[in-house]
Formats: sequence, structure tokens, C-alpha cells
Amino acid sequence: MEKDARPNWDNPMQFVLACVSYAVGLGNVWRFPYLCQMHGGGGFLIPYFIMLLVEGVPLFYLELAIGQKMRLGSIGAWTAISPYLGGVGLASVVTSLYLCLYYNVINAWSFWYLFNSFQSVLPWAVCPINANRTAPIEECEVASPTQYFFYRETLNISSTIEENGGIHTGQALCFLLTWVITYLCIVRGVQSTGKVVYFTATFPYVVLFIYLIRGFTLHGAVNGVKYMFTPKMDQLANPATWINAATQIFFSLGLGFGSLIAFSSYNQYNNNFERQAITVSLINSGTSIFASIVTFAIYGFKATVNYENCLERTRILLLNTFNLAEDTITLDNVLEWIKKLNATYPEQFNEIANDTGNCSLEQELATAVEGPGLAFIVYSEAITNMPLSQLWSVLYFIMLLLLGVGSMLGNITAIITPLRDFRVVSRISSELFNGLVCLFCLLLGLGFTTTSGNYWFTMFNDYGATFSLLFIVLIEVITVSYIYGIKRFEKDIEDMLGHRPNWYWKIMWVVISPLLLIVLFVFYIVNYIMGGTPTYQAWDKEQGKSVLTEYPAFGQVFIVLLLVSSVSCVPLTALYVFCRKRKHGKPLKQQHALSTVSA
Amino acid sequence: MLDKILFLLCLASALADERCMPDTPHGFQVRLSIKTALGDEAYAWNENEMFLFRATLAFAMRNHMTGQQFNVSNIVVCDETERVSFWFIVTSPLDTSQLIDQENVEAAIRRSRNRINSAFLLTDKTLEFVDILPTLGTPYVHPTPPWLIAFGVVMGAVGAGIIIMLVSSAVQKKLKTNKKPQDKDEDDEEETRVKTMENGVARDGVYNMSFSEDERFTAM
Repeated sequence: MEKDARPNWDNPMQFVLACVSYAVGLGNVWRFPYLCQMHGGGGFLIPYFIMLLVEGVPLFYLELAIGQKMRLGSIGAWTAISPYLGGVGLASVVTSLYLCLYYNVINAWSFWYLFNSFQSVLPWAVCPINANRTAPIEECEVASPTQYFFYRETLNISSTIEENGGIHTGQALCFLLTWVITYLCIVRGVQSTGKVVYFTATFPYVVLFIYLIRGFTLHGAVNGVKYMFTPKMDQLANPATWINAATQIFFSLGLGFGSLIAFSSYNQYNNNFERQAITVSLINSGTSIFASIVTFAIYGFKATVNYENCLERTRILLLNTFNLAEDTITLDNVLEWIKKLNATYPEQFNEIANDTGNCSLEQELATAVEGPGLAFIVYSEAITNMPLSQLWSVLYFIMLLLLGVGSMLGNITAIITPLRDFRVVSRISSELFNGLVCLFCLLLGLGFTTTSGNYWFTMFNDYGATFSLLFIVLIEVITVSYIYGIKRFEKDIEDMLGHRPNWYWKIMWVVISPLLLIVLFVFYIVNYIMGGTPTYQAWDKEQGKSVLTEYPAFGQVFIVLLLVSSVSCVPLTALYVFCRKRKHGKPLKQQHALSTVSA
Repeated sequence: MLDKILFLLCLASALADERCMPDTPHGFQVRLSIKTALGDEAYAWNENEMFLFRATLAFAMRNHMTGQQFNVSNIVVCDETERVSFWFIVTSPLDTSQLIDQENVEAAIRRSRNRINSAFLLTDKTLEFVDILPTLGTPYVHPTPPWLIAFGVVMGAVGAGIIIMLVSSAVQKKLKTNKKPQDKDEDDEEETRVKTMENGVARDGVYNMSFSEDERFTAM
């Protein structure tokens, strides 16, 4: 009989909610709508769903199966599958560590915005006034109040990655708070995480639903939704569309971090994870689409407001230049008047010609933003134009927080679970160990709250966990299909579920998914090499916008370090195990395998 | 309405002061946006309103340059348009051929801007003196930044939560160790293991090493 001191989820629902909470994260809100817009609106759903069926669900199923069978974290599980490939688990842990370091900074920003929402006038709605009290601060004039608040008051960003200032105290405090909350959620491991996910998985949907209703009742929202969903089928011929759909599915489900293995290792042996895998993947994709409907309703509203403001400015300009009575030009006939005045007073009109005629709703809608810029700049601008903006602001940032914290729980569990499988670590109480891990990540992560912190954040975001994950999952799927053997894997699943997996799963695991991953992998490498020097967006405070800047030498070295450090775990561990085997010979090999497998 | 303005213009030009003209270096342009400010309650701009304007401006000049008795006649207006915009210059009460320079006029207007605005039920934006920037109001400086208050509340709550969790697990562990000497008599492997699983919360992840070793070798 198997000794089982391993903690378990209280019920399968907790496991499903934990997976949903982990998979449904900020990427669903700020990456998917952008991709949808860039790749032909409604038409993008076709490659998206194909990739979900071909790549997303099979790989998700695979990871859950491994975790539930081995009942160990990623390091232990892969060592048990094949001792030479324990490095895959280690690579997962290293990648998760990188993610944990920088991901909580986003939650810190959400907290900062949330706390600043409790004021009568939202601080990002108006420009602060300069010292002479003659005009708003110049940087704010040139950019916009929301951009100023994000880059100056939230980040206090420096102009390049080389310049560094001190730590922003407000940021650091919010960062500390985020880590304290993360610790509170995982302090007792699965027992506490299991309770928290009831809230973090469900409340964002409540907020999204409220926003859906609010969004559709806003003036001009329908423009945005129509614009988004009008399919442009010609984009399907573009290979970038399919690649982006594949990578979006891949990263959105959170494969390769080891979180799924960690979560499912706490399952009962006979838990029906097949159904759960399909459910969670579908929920994740459904949430992406739901969130993008809301996002586009808000986009439409913001674009319409900007367009009407532009028309209003043009109208006043025309009235003042041609000294016409106030009620001759209204918002509706501005464009006709422009033509009329151009015809009747061409010289006078020429003087102001540059400022007129550039109000375009299409152009406003076409400005697509992704990433933190969407969440913190574009959305907050839209919120300032809503009535009762403080309420909407609070709701929105609470939703962002829950999405972020939910994903964070998965990431930190991905580090803790494999480490706790080691005997040395399992002697320490779980509260103390979890606290140490959180403290370690907190101290290292404080670097992201400095003035150049956002540039380091971007670097980690772009390079820390993208390439390595593709590599890890590729090795995973090849290991399971060929090294461990698909027949053995089938038997394991039959042992757990009571039936063998369908022929569909087997074809995906053995043929299609590895092929697809190899294509993505090659594409990434080619892109990285062909892309020349890696660049980032630096904030120029004189111009009030971001400029494309190249990384300096130490930055590029660091990028290579990030990529290599996680990927190299696999060959290095294999080498290490090979050397130990040769040194110790066969009999001791058994004991070595046992001492790392503790359950 | 239009006739009145035309008549005024003719009258004004008859008594014209050639120094008052558009882009004069001695005066300012004024722009009123009455309909934008007041909507349905907008009043019509006529010669009475213009008289009020000139009187208000004379009042502002008197306030600024104390001692000098400015009169309505000292404010000369020209180039009125349908937009309701016009230029004005200010002559000295002591000698009408002398014009008051721009800096003094600007200072006077800045000082009494509020009064001038209220006379017409308008604001800095809707009663524009072109090239005179309004002094923006001082922003309210909070004694403690409001975000810090919200932060303090949340941090306090979370901190309390953690302390409660840690204390309760420490207390549970103490209860366990107090009970253990009594349970030792039973010495049933299975039962202790079952107990471990039932009290999963307190025993979470803490491994009984000697146990696992024996069991594994025995099983093999």
C-alpha cells in the first residue's frame, strides 16, 4: 500500500478552479484582443481554435497526466520518467523562478492604481499643474495624463536601461503587499491555495460581466465591437497569423512551467483529468473571447470619445479663425464646413489646414495596443470618461489583481512543489519554506521597482519565459512519446482513468504536436537571429512617447544568459547523471533514484 | 440685431480711434463663447453688454492703477465680429492721446479676472483674453497621500491574516505534540498514518523520516 503523506485538494472542483485561475490570466485580457485585431478580427478565431484542438488540449492533458501519475513536482516527475531528463523539471523550475520574480510587479502596479482610485478626481484624468501655476506640467502636455501617470508617477521611469535611480517607495510598498498576499494564499500549500482559488477563479468573471453590460451601454461601443469582429479573411493566408495563434494558445495555457504538474500531483490517483483538461482549456479560450468583446466595447467607446473631442477642437478652431457666430457650426456639420471654408477662403484656411481634417474614427479604432500599455494606459483613459469613474476603476483593478494573483499562485506552486520533494527541504515546515521562497523572490524582485525597472521587466517578459518554454515542452512531448514510450503512457492512463486514451490523443502526442512545436521553435530562433539587435521601447520625456532603443552590451549579454540558463539545465543534468552513473556503477544507481523520489 | 451692430460699427468708426485695430500692439483681443457656457440661458450680445464690458474693464484698471479715475470712455473697442470677439485699447484718463501699455492692462485684468468673469456669468475658458494666460487654481495638497491610507488598511488586514494563520498552525502543532505521548501506546502504523491524513493541515508536508525508510524496504 502506498504511503500517502502528500496533501490533497479537498475536492476535484478545487483542482479545476486552481487550473482555471492559473490559466486565465492577464494574457487573456491584454494579448488576445490585440492579436484578434491584428490578424483579421473574427477570422482569427479559426486558426485559434484549430491550434487549441491540435496543440493546446493534448499538451495540457499530457502535463496533467504526468503530474497525477507521478505524484511529484516537475523535477521528481521527470527524473522518475527518465533519470537523464530530470533536467527538464529543473529547467521548468528555473523558468518559473524568473517568472515569479517579475510577474508580481504587475500586481504591484494594479495595487497602486487601485489605491489611487479612492480620490474624488482620478489622478490620471487631469494633468498636474507646474510650479508657476501657469500651465500643466510639460511632460504631461506633450503626452497624455494617463501616460504621464503611468510613466512618471507610477514608474518614475528613466530614459534608458543604463540610467538608474532609486527605488520608487510607493511601488516598493505595493510590491511588498503583493508578496505578503501571495504568501498568505500559499502559506499552507494546497490547503490554503484550494480555498483561495474559489474566489480568484470566479470573481473576475463577475467583473467582466458587469463590464460587458457597462461597455455595451456606452456611447460608441458598438463601433468597436463591429470593427473587431468584422472578419478580414485575407489574414488567414499570412503565416504570422497561424504562428501567433499557436504561441498564444501555448502561453495562455501556461504549459511547461511545471505548475500543471504540481497542481495535478495533489490529485487523487483516479481523478478524471481527461474531462478536466478539456474543460479548463475551453474555459480559458472562452474567457479570451469574452474579454476581447469587453475590451473592444471599451475601445469603441474611447475611440468615439476621442473622435468627438477632435471634432470639437476643429469646430472651435474654425469658429475662432473665421469669426463665425457660435451656433453656425455644430459637431454634425464640421466636416461640411471645412470643405465650404476651404473653398471660400483658401488662403486663410491654408494657415490652419494642418490642424483640421485629421479626425478619423477609423484611425482611432486602428490604434492597437497590447500588454501593460493596454491595461494601464488605454483602459484607464476609457474609465476616466465614464460616469462614476472611481467605482469602475476600483472594479477593474480588482479584476486585474485577481487574474494576476491567480496566475501567480500557479507559478509559485511550480517552484515550491518540486523543491519540497527533496528530503532536505521537506524537513522544514511548509510555512517557513514558503516564507523563505517568497522572501527571496521579494528581495530580488525589488530591482524591478527602480527607475529603470520597467525596462528590465520588459526584458524578462520578452525573453525570460518564451523560448525556454517551447524547448521544455518540446522535450517533454518527445520524451513521453518516444523515450518513455507511448504504450507505457497509455497503460498509465488506463490505470488512472480506467480507459485508454482515444486514437486522437495518441496521434497528437506522437506526431502533430511535436511537429508543430518544432515549427514554432525554429520560427523563434530564426526571428531572434534575423531580428538583429534586440530592442526595447524607451520613454522619452521630452517627446512624450516611446522610442525604439537598442539594448546595450550588458543587456544583450543578460538576454543570452536568461535564455541559456534555463535551456542548459537539460543537457547539464543529463551530463551530471551520466557522470555519476559511470562513477558509482550500477548498484548504487538504484539508491540514487530512490533518494530523490520520496513518495 | 445685425443692424444694431452695423450701426454701432459706423458710430464707432465715426468717433474712431485709429490706434485701435486688429493686432494692435497696445491692446488685446477678447473672445466670448456665451452659447457654449450658458446653453439655453444664453443672453444676446448687444450694446448694453458691451457697455458693461467697458465699465468692468474700467473698474479693473481703477483697481490696478490706484488714483487714476478710468472711465468707460477710456476703453476703446473695435473690430467686433459675429463670433462675439473684438479688440480693445485703454487710454489714460489724464491724457487721451496716451495709451496704457500692455503690461499694465494685462496685470489689471489678471487681478480682477474673477470679477470680470462673474459679471458675465462666464469662466476663464469662455471669456478669453487672447494671450493672457489664466492663473490656474492651486491644487489641493493632501496631508497624507490618499493611496497610503488605502494601502495601510489592506496591509494591516493581510498582516493580521498571516499572523492568525501562523499562530493557529503553531497552536495546532502544540496540541498534536501534547496528544502524541498518549497515542504512542496504540503504535499502529496504519492509524497514525490515517491520523496524519486527517489532520493534513497541521502535518502538512512534515515528513516522518524513519517511517518512510522502513516501509519502503519492507515493501521491497
